[in-house]
Amino acid sequence: MQLQRALTPGNKTDFLVEAAQTVSGLLLVGFLWTHMLFVASILLGIQAFDALAHFMERFRLLDLAVIFIILTVATHVGAVLRRIPGRWQEQKIVWKHAAIIRHPDTWSWLFQAVTGSAMLLLIIIHVFVVVYVGIDATLSADRVHSWMLGFYIVLLFLAEYHASVGLYRTLVKWGFVKRHSLKRVLTVITVCTIGLGLLSLWAFYSLGG
Amino acid sequence: MSRYDHFMTDVIIVGAGLAGERAAVEAASHGLRVILLSLVPPRRSHSSAAQGGMQASLGNSAMGKGDNPDIHFADTVKGSDWGCDQDVARLFAETAPIAVRQMSYWGVPWNRVVPGTRLYDGKEIQEDPAKEGLITARNFGGTAKWRTCYTADGTGHTLLYTMDSVVLKMGIPVHDRTEVLSLIHDGKRCLGVVARCLRTGKLRAYTAKATVIATGGYGRLYGASTNAVINEGSGMFVALETGVVPLGNMEAVQFHPTGIVPSWILITEGARGDGGYLLDKNLHRFMPDYEPNKKELASRDVVSRRIMQHIRSGYGVESPYGAHVWLDIRHLGARHINTNLREIATICRNFAGIDPVHDLIPVRPTQHYSMGGIRTNIDGMAYGLEGLFALGEAACWDMHGFNRLGGNSLAETVVAGMIVGGKIAACAKEASYHVSSALIEEQVRFQEDRIQALIEGRHGRENVYQLRREMEQTLSEHVGIFRSEEPLQKAVAKLHELHQRSLRVGLRSDGRGANPELAAALRITGMIRLAYCIAAGALARQESRGSHYREDFPKRDDVNWLKRTLAYWPVGADQPSLAYEPVKITELPPGDRGYGEASAHSVTAKG
Amino acid sequence: MSQRQLTFHIFRYNPEEPDAKPRTQSYVLPEEPGMTLFIALNKIREEQDPTLKFDFVCRAGICGSCGMLINGKPTLACKTLTKDLPDRISLMPLPVFQLLGDLSVDTGTWFRHVSLRTEAWVHTEKRFDPMAEEERMSNDTALAIYEAERCIECGCCIGGCATANIKPGFIGAAGVNRVARFMVDPRDERSDQQYFDVVGSEDGIFGCIGLMACDDNCPIGIPLQGQLAYVRRKMAVAGWKR
Repeated sequence: MQLQRALTPGNKTDFLVEAAQTVSGLLLVGFLWTHMLFVASILLGIQAFDALAHFMERFRLLDLAVIFIILTVATHVGAVLRRIPGRWQEQKIVWKHAAIIRHPDTWSWLFQAVTGSAMLLLIIIHVFVVVYVGIDATLSADRVHSWMLGFYIVLLFLAEYHASVGLYRTLVKWGFVKRHSLKRVLTVITVCTIGLGLLSLWAFYSLGG
Repeated sequence: MSRYDHFMTDVIIVGAGLAGERAAVEAASHGLRVILLSLVPPRRSHSSAAQGGMQASLGNSAMGKGDNPDIHFADTVKGSDWGCDQDVARLFAETAPIAVRQMSYWGVPWNRVVPGTRLYDGKEIQEDPAKEGLITARNFGGTAKWRTCYTADGTGHTLLYTMDSVVLKMGIPVHDRTEVLSLIHDGKRCLGVVARCLRTGKLRAYTAKATVIATGGYGRLYGASTNAVINEGSGMFVALETGVVPLGNMEAVQFHPTGIVPSWILITEGARGDGGYLLDKNLHRFMPDYEPNKKELASRDVVSRRIMQHIRSGYGVESPYGAHVWLDIRHLGARHINTNLREIATICRNFAGIDPVHDLIPVRPTQHYSMGGIRTNIDGMAYGLEGLFALGEAACWDMHGFNRLGGNSLAETVVAGMIVGGKIAACAKEASYHVSSALIEEQVRFQEDRIQALIEGRHGRENVYQLRREMEQTLSEHVGIFRSEEPLQKAVAKLHELHQRSLRVGLRSDGRGANPELAAALRITGMIRLAYCIAAGALARQESRGSHYREDFPKRDDVNWLKRTLAYWPVGADQPSLAYEPVKITELPPGDRGYGEASAHSVTAKG
Repeated sequence: MSQRQLTFHIFRYNPEEPDAKPRTQSYVLPEEPGMTLFIALNKIREEQDPTLKFDFVCRAGICGSCGMLINGKPTLACKTLTKDLPDRISLMPLPVFQLLGDLSVDTGTWFRHVSLRTEAWVHTEKRFDPMAEEERMSNDTALAIYEAERCIECGCCIGGCATANIKPGFIGAAGVNRVARFMVDPRDERSDQQYFDVVGSEDGIFGCIGLMACDDNCPIGIPLQGQLAYVRRKMAVAGWKR
């Protein structure tokens, strides 16, 4: 026991931050996958999509979702920031290390960090657009006929990759799963959700600008 | 800044394996300041490689029922072929059960008795439900009862890690990567050591009231040895080089029956203890032919000789690395092999590319253990110098005589650590401190000059690695399992020459800092001296006893040779001088071992 | 079959020359049947370069001395057969640990510090009674302790861990596994809260970001993912109750 420990008994900050990261991460994965399912309602036709959108607006679910996403993302970002090597020297060490040991899960973590950072910017734009414009099939169709098509494709890949790797890592860290079979299952899910997302984008695109 | 660091303490222990650490814990618990010196981090010591187990007559397992120290004592004496000191063997057998339980108290996860029945070598074994959860034992060679306590395949590992955790807990300082070069002494009393730091290459002096050598064996004198590469006998030769401390029974060299071919890594006796067979080239199980009672589990010297005898009779399996026999554990089943014998499975897969669940393991007797070492009395104090102690494989305490039983070496380290540790503490408490700084200065200067001479090549340009290879070959070829006059004379002559050449070694590198070539060069003369003592002792001993088997004198000769060899190396001499002392017989007069004897002299001397 | 010529690219660094930059030196050696890196490195030292530093002790995969990066992979050199490697072999010392020269690193000191910090010994108030029967334990418990106790402290899990590479205080998989060994041992009387003091932080289990290089590289196959997850769950409960 050291003095600083004796003066601050029961220090569990590290645990709480870790818990916040895990819980917010899991919530975001759940949100993302639900979100992708909802968007995919366009595959059932414009009516279905718009009905869902209006339903959400009527019961203020959209506002709730926006508040939820802002809070959860903020928590998640706040928690995971401590993981990003802060100093330039650390960055160099980590990248060099990954290059030397050629270990897939180490690389996937680096991509996780990169996709996470990139996504933060894209998510802000995405949420801003939705809040400002609202949800409507025709407007969406218009958007995918602009430069925004690229934006959505990039965001789709980043988000699905980040969510998949994040979920994998969380389950691995807390146990109860076989790593290698988990990896296979998650890869299938990710490919499916990305496929679904691309199909939805194609559906909007074919609605015409 | 001075040229060297000087550490003063109560007890200095050279070697942080099991014996050294156990003694350190004992001395420290008597309130003494202790420093441990080690070539490597303590947990890398060769003790960790002992897979099999530790003998102690707990008598918990069904097959160990009724065991007691008397039987353990008798097994040990028979195993030694009456070459041991019986008062030491008695003390050892009485203390071993306490030592095992104390290790359990400190944290060793000994395997425990599981009630129920199981099959062993065709017999059904029924464990006593009342003994559930007590420390169990496995079968080892040369024992009347199942007495070898174990933790799966890592007994030495768990013992060493547990011992080291106690060293950590007690805050005993360990100076690792430190090699001892010589003892500081005045001809009467040992006052400490001169050591070299293997991180920086700098010299250090350690002075203490008691100096303890626990550096393990010298297996690496032989080319083919199961030993770790650090087992070069350095503690033994620094004692020998004082000129006043003798080495006991150096000709008693144990060959383990089952070194894997060709990397010579040990396949533990646990493989045979758990029911493995030895097969020849016709896949015939040959041990029952020679030893109908103990079969594969006669004592190690006997099994090793039987294998070599069988190979000489033309039943060996030919290979590029010489003839060998097979070890078969396939019938034990994948589950048993992958848990209780996992280390063996791993070694087979990694180093021989075979799977013991499906394949036969190629094995041949390989140098394994040195019964000989620094001769001490029953208190562990070395002959010749006051304040110098030795224990473990480095010592000839002498409970092993001419053959050590499997499981008795781990037991010796811990038991000797307990007992000798107490004696060390007593000695250090009584001693007063008076080391002349001139003496230290002189010793350090001597080593500095040696190093400088090696770097400059002042005495010649002999290549240290070349000398080493020649020494290894000489011992392996001429001082092996079967010995006789002519090859031994060759060996002595060759070692005499190598010893002279070793005085003319010069480095090829610059020798700066922690240079590995310099370290090897500083050791080579001492190693050759040990080899010389082994060969000279073997040549002189005209009988067969335990592991020392003379084809020209195939019988034990209790009339002339019931005595211990003491090898001295007078300062400045070019060869060892041999003396003898009687063996202490207290309870058990020399008799039949109950295995091996009957046909030992029927070995045909061909090959 | 024709004999291969192996080219070893070996990291060289001499602490005697602090100004000299670390460099890579190449050695060519004909391959032999059954050759391990233990044999190859000794041959290089004895025949080509007597200054080359590396550590071997047991040369049988038991002592944990010879961990190094072999073509980038942290593993034990003694049990690496050259036949499993390409013609060009790169050898580097393990990162994280103090470099003692060339391929030799000071794993011993690092592990001693971690053992001291995690108080890696059995904590008990009981006194040893030489005359008493040993305390009973189920064989399954003994085997579970042994499963964690098997760690040979070679440092491959530490050298391969990106977190350990940048966070000097992180005890890594070996450290956490060592604590797990005492958690499953009924003889250790420490409470979960006491363990939390030792590993319930960023330097302990909550510093692990799940890269799993430790689990992939452990040369003796300790199920480190499971051990880490076990400690994490136990410490999460302890942290929650705090």
